[in-house]
Amino acid sequence: MKSPLNVTMDRREFLGSAGAAGALVLGFALPRRLRAAMSAPAGGTINAFLSIAPNGKVTVQSPFVEMGEGTYTSIPMLLAEELDVEMSAIRVEQAPPEAAYRLQEGGKERYTGGSDSVRSSWEPLRKAGATARAMLIAAAEKQSGIPARELSTEPGAVVHKGSGRRFSYGDLAATAGAMPVPETVKLKDPAEFRLLGTPVPRLDAEEKSNGQAKFGIDFQMKGALTAVVRQSPQFSGEPTAIDSAEAQGMPGVVSVDKIPNGIAVIADHFWHAKKALDAVKVTFDKAPSPDFSTDGYLKKLRSRLDDAGEPAEDKGKAKQALRSAAKTTTADYSVPYLAHATMEPMNCAALVQGGKCTVWAPNQTVDSVVEAATTVTGLPKDAIEVHTPYLGGGFGRRFIMDYVTQAVTLAAKHPGKPIKVEWTREEDMQHDFYRPMTAARYRGGIDNKGNPVAVHITTVGDGPLRRFFSDPKHPMKIDDSVVEGSIKQPYSIPNWRCDYVFEYSPAPIGFWRSVGNSQNAFFKESFMDELAHLAERDPVEFRRTLLGKEPRFGKVLDTVAEMAGWRGKPWNAGDGRKHAMGVALHRSFGSIVGEVAEVSLDESGLPQVHRVWAAVDCGFAVNPLILTMQIESAIAYGLSAALHEQVTMKDGHTVKNNFDDYPVLTAQEMPDVQVKIVNSGADLGGIGEVGTPPIAPAVCNALFTLTGKRIRSLPLDQHQFT
Amino acid sequence: MTKLKINGKLLNLDVEDDMPLLWAIRDIAGLSGTKFGCGKGLCGACTVHIDGNAMRSCITPVSAARGKMITTIEGLSSDGRSHPLQKAWVAEQVPQCGYCQSGQIMAAAAFLKQNPRPDDDAIRASMNNLCRCGTYLRIQKAIKRAAGDVT
Repeated sequence: MKSPLNVTMDRREFLGSAGAAGALVLGFALPRRLRAAMSAPAGGTINAFLSIAPNGKVTVQSPFVEMGEGTYTSIPMLLAEELDVEMSAIRVEQAPPEAAYRLQEGGKERYTGGSDSVRSSWEPLRKAGATARAMLIAAAEKQSGIPARELSTEPGAVVHKGSGRRFSYGDLAATAGAMPVPETVKLKDPAEFRLLGTPVPRLDAEEKSNGQAKFGIDFQMKGALTAVVRQSPQFSGEPTAIDSAEAQGMPGVVSVDKIPNGIAVIADHFWHAKKALDAVKVTFDKAPSPDFSTDGYLKKLRSRLDDAGEPAEDKGKAKQALRSAAKTTTADYSVPYLAHATMEPMNCAALVQGGKCTVWAPNQTVDSVVEAATTVTGLPKDAIEVHTPYLGGGFGRRFIMDYVTQAVTLAAKHPGKPIKVEWTREEDMQHDFYRPMTAARYRGGIDNKGNPVAVHITTVGDGPLRRFFSDPKHPMKIDDSVVEGSIKQPYSIPNWRCDYVFEYSPAPIGFWRSVGNSQNAFFKESFMDELAHLAERDPVEFRRTLLGKEPRFGKVLDTVAEMAGWRGKPWNAGDGRKHAMGVALHRSFGSIVGEVAEVSLDESGLPQVHRVWAAVDCGFAVNPLILTMQIESAIAYGLSAALHEQVTMKDGHTVKNNFDDYPVLTAQEMPDVQVKIVNSGADLGGIGEVGTPPIAPAVCNALFTLTGKRIRSLPLDQHQFT
Repeated sequence: MTKLKINGKLLNLDVEDDMPLLWAIRDIAGLSGTKFGCGKGLCGACTVHIDGNAMRSCITPVSAARGKMITTIEGLSSDGRSHPLQKAWVAEQVPQCGYCQSGQIMAAAAFLKQNPRPDDDAIRASMNNLCRCGTYLRIQKAIKRAAGDVT
């Protein structure tokens, strides 16, 4: 894994300067504004990532948001390991939108997503900790006269074993900040790790258990107003007639304003704003696709399953090999649009005052918040201040700045007034940026020994990469967000072709947990089972013989099969029902995950998932506790979609409203989950999303073994099993 | 102006009879621990206690809470954080994003008051709040752990 930052520090970049007493500043070319922004109370700023207060409290500047995935614990762990402090000494702040904190895409980007936070922090945060430790030792040498080579550290202090003298980091910080930054630092050997690789408990668990954790929706400020919005129900429509006479006279109402594609009512608080909004009569029109429906779009996608498209991968000669295969099978799959349905609905607060714009936004990329604010206000970047609270769920939704644009637009119209935009659940459900509806045709052939010889895939749909990152002058030919997970497969099948057919989605689309892997693992791992069935072979054994050249995949598959006590046929279980298992194996975001699901049908003939086993190879588990939580989480998220979720659309708009017509996984439906970590020592892989792709195929494969019914479209709710 | 008794304090709040209690708690009393998730009583993020019973405050009008004892997550324990469930939540490492957890804890607290020695099936059956992060298994463990501690 490449480190995006040059690990030897250029001396010319470093400023030594005396700031406020005890707060000497040194680091990655910190501009004056950044120094002011780093709020270590009377503390020593050692570098861009950490400062140490006289009482020894270490403040870590995290480039990554906390949305449940655990970065507020895992990122400081990297630093604490090398710095040599206890986790109890750590407090975390969101780093400001400055260059030092862009650790991704070669130092150009900063986003929390793609299961990339720990991977991209691995070197820079460890280096920051090790560098600071070296400077603290140097400071102790300077203060005490004891040579550095005789000094070592224990958590929170430099120590001299010879004399027993101890110098707390808090006492040394001010001096340390002024010491020369070492050109190179040695990082710990993994054999010496004290924290990394251990189940360090989450730093945010307590405040999330006592109501003190603050989310974006909890923004409070004297004089703040609340705005509730209604956007055009039909995607991208505009309000063409607004009658707000009644609303304007209602209690607490301050203003009725236009926002992009909609209107907002601003009042003293949410309830007044919502009541007044319900009294506004709006005509919406000019939607570009007023007849769009999911029924129609699915038909369109399916009609193109034999189109040529563009080859995303073309290994061997798949079409030819299929023609000469002993046996072939073709399967058409599809998946619906999915909502993110974060527990905390979309919200953002903003204040425009005195040539400055302050934004309080739950977000997955602070640079986009700044960009949205500059676009709306016309103010320069350094006039924008962003505060990122805890997110009540992200899952990819909070990459999109629509709700930020609304808040800043309203704040700019009412300067001097802090305005918090709070969406209703219905607004959130109907104005999501959905996981795209996608269809795929899989054609496979086996030889007369039952070995797969060819797979030819045509996948039809649209993706968020093209939607948000394609240059209109040179539109991308292959959209990785549509094909990822269906190409570069580990199975030694000599002919593998994947063609990508672009079919524009009039419905808004975005990044949903695991992105293209969310549909492609379902398609591909279901099809691997169909090929196994065609060959009359056990699904685990079938896959295993195709992984001879991929030992990491083989190990994960072996591990999960053993964990589950793999059974390839249904059996009579102790609850009086027939049970069956299904398997799926998938790599995404650099990690390999194998899952086995055990299912039965309940008294109503509905699928019930009893247990899921997951084997995970992410190279090295930085925090095995957080890893396990994330796998449980990702399985729940994917299972919810597999069982229940679909966003249906008609007449150009979403027809779902809330958790009554968009059911999600309940506690009673949560299977027992066992996770085993396979520490392969390979390059770090990500964790946040990787548990999601295998669950749908594992469950559907199990249902096939159980009932003989092959599921090729989700959610399962639309299928009958009895 | 309406007098509402929240966490043992009598507050005089500028609220209307038909206002959902959730907004009186969050926006008028300024207690942000109770969360808004759906507005239709479907998710449970807004769960508070009214005279000790778990109620979804987003569908409970202020008028129904007048004269009753309202308890929010902030008032669940005397110091705000040491209810056996809150300690169990930390010990079992329950929260991920954390947004649903106030409601989860309030629902669990009312359940344990009714059923102090529940078996696993009873715990599972009682868990009717939604969690998008999938913390259900740990919630179940934490309720079980706290049930061992609650006298």
